[in-house]
Amino acid sequence: MKKMLILGAFAAMLASGTALADTSDKKIAFSNNYAGNSWRQAMLDSYAIVTKKAVADGVVAAADIFTTADKEVPTQAAQVQNLILQGYDAIVINAASPDALNGAVKQACDAGIVVVSFDGIVTEPCAYRVVVDFKDMGKQEVEQMAKFQPKGGNLLEIRGLAGTSIDDAIHAGILEGVAAHPEFKIVGSVTGDWDQTTAQKAVATILPSLPEIVGVVDQGGDGYGAAQAFAAAGKPRPTIIMGNRQDELQWWKEQKDKDGYQTWSASIAPGVSSLAFWVAQQVLDGRTDIPHDLLVPYLAFTQDDFEAALPKIPKGGVASHEYTQEDAIAAIKANIK
Amino acid sequence: MASLRLLLAKPWIWSFIGALLVWLATIAFTGGYGGGGMITAALSLAVFTVIVGVGQMFVITLGPGNVDLSLPANIGLASAVAMKVMDGNDAMIAVGLLAAVACGMAVGAANYLLIWALRIPPIIATLSASFIIQSIDISYGRGLQIKPPPGFASFTNWQILGIPILAILTVLFTIGAAIALQRMIYGRSVLAIGQNIRAAWFAGINVGRIRFLTYTLSGALGGLDGALLAGYFRGANVDIGNEYLLASIAVVVIGGTSVAGGKANVPGVWGAALFLVLLLTMLNTFGVSAGVRLLLTGLIIVGVITAAGGQKALR
Repeated sequence: MKKMLILGAFAAMLASGTALADTSDKKIAFSNNYAGNSWRQAMLDSYAIVTKKAVADGVVAAADIFTTADKEVPTQAAQVQNLILQGYDAIVINAASPDALNGAVKQACDAGIVVVSFDGIVTEPCAYRVVVDFKDMGKQEVEQMAKFQPKGGNLLEIRGLAGTSIDDAIHAGILEGVAAHPEFKIVGSVTGDWDQTTAQKAVATILPSLPEIVGVVDQGGDGYGAAQAFAAAGKPRPTIIMGNRQDELQWWKEQKDKDGYQTWSASIAPGVSSLAFWVAQQVLDGRTDIPHDLLVPYLAFTQDDFEAALPKIPKGGVASHEYTQEDAIAAIKANIK
Repeated sequence: MASLRLLLAKPWIWSFIGALLVWLATIAFTGGYGGGGMITAALSLAVFTVIVGVGQMFVITLGPGNVDLSLPANIGLASAVAMKVMDGNDAMIAVGLLAAVACGMAVGAANYLLIWALRIPPIIATLSASFIIQSIDISYGRGLQIKPPPGFASFTNWQILGIPILAILTVLFTIGAAIALQRMIYGRSVLAIGQNIRAAWFAGINVGRIRFLTYTLSGALGGLDGALLAGYFRGANVDIGNEYLLASIAVVVIGGTSVAGGKANVPGVWGAALFLVLLLTMLNTFGVSAGVRLLLTGLIIVGVITAAGGQKALR
């Protein structure tokens, strides 16, 4: 009878989903492979803010950040192996490759370590994947475009890094959106690699041959470059979907102040690193009902709220959002069907 | 006819022929629409490749094994230095440009120091230098994009009758570089070292000094390029120079400069840079997918080099 009671209490504890089991002696490591752009810098900042507080509050014992350079798979694999030896209880990882790190990740799992990947996810089944719903983001871009350009017209698409799952997902979403809005037609497509310079160059080369463009659908990090390319070519300014970068929102604000320019902005929040941290904490907490693939929302700004967010983004940086434990619990709940 | 044959014998002519053919193919596809705009865009973008290409050309001409792989990192750091010094202030443009060039020169000098003092092959020395430079850049720039002053930004976009001012200035600069290469003691020394370093040394050329100057020149041009790129692309960032690792070497080779050193020409760098941008224009306009685009770029570059090289073998 007593045993039943304990089990019952245990079940109730699990169901409530809060940090009742103790993770205060657990150590979580963060394995990162690159820090050279504004997105990664914001990712590290958000992670540091959230984890510092978590350590100070005694939620976990340690949350250390390890960054290797240059997106190199072998270096990161060696780093993961080191983290295993150092006795961490969980590893949050932004992986350099979706499959090349699977061996190291499997070793970690076999050693009883919880692995949570995000942004650069790993396909190894034992790991958790925190994935942003990029397909919906692409679809939403066209939905928003339909609001700003109700008459429809020609669209230019800027693709991301070729061969990545993110590029494929956003592209598929955009195609779905265009299929639902036949008033739009994609007349050109270039590769911008989520990079302002690459995007500006690519758009500059294709613009002379394109008919009038009413809108640009893109993947984030490329909106400002596209705007510059249109200006340099002396072409009329289209509706350019933005990607939460400070320069993009700043440009949007300048245009809005000038003539009421309207657009929409969305991207993966770099702070999704903090969400991955909380997922790791929840798994360490003893929750067994967490799906290994977690679809989480993207961060979007509209005409009404982007100006409020702008001052909070560091100059030249990207908008982030620090997730709380409650956010993580809610996101997990939304994924349990 | 004789003059045409003379022209075809020039190793640089093939890059211009390639550029012209690619441009004609593109406007044939669009039915003549946008041809002028393509030239303007090509000139604006080719400038940046030409500037580093000339630096790389001098280095490669020094002979086998000489190459500057630190250019991308150098460009990235100089772009951040220029933008931080200018700090959005039009009055500081000249100071910022000088700072970028000085930063580039320091990188170039450090490269040669590694090669000379530690006797490391240039390919390793410049590559390892680039890791150090990139780390400095990441901690200096914090991965943030710093915006150029409005005056500098619009300068990089100025056009006269569709021809960017920057392109005109770069043409003047390349004429100067061609004179330096063919008519001045410095340039002749570089060529002599590239043909036979021992013979050059016996002939009384101060080999060490010339090599030092050449690496410093390449660094300085990388620094200048970084500042200009940050102006044109409206912001410095660590990755801004990434594509110039391969592009700077590609324009040298496509332009008809010998990879083995000792034989160089400046006009080919322009032809090759225009060719590369127009190739991107053509493939973007045709709307081929990213994979096919990379494949075709590789095949076409191989084709042009073979055409240019095949001609040389006949002579």
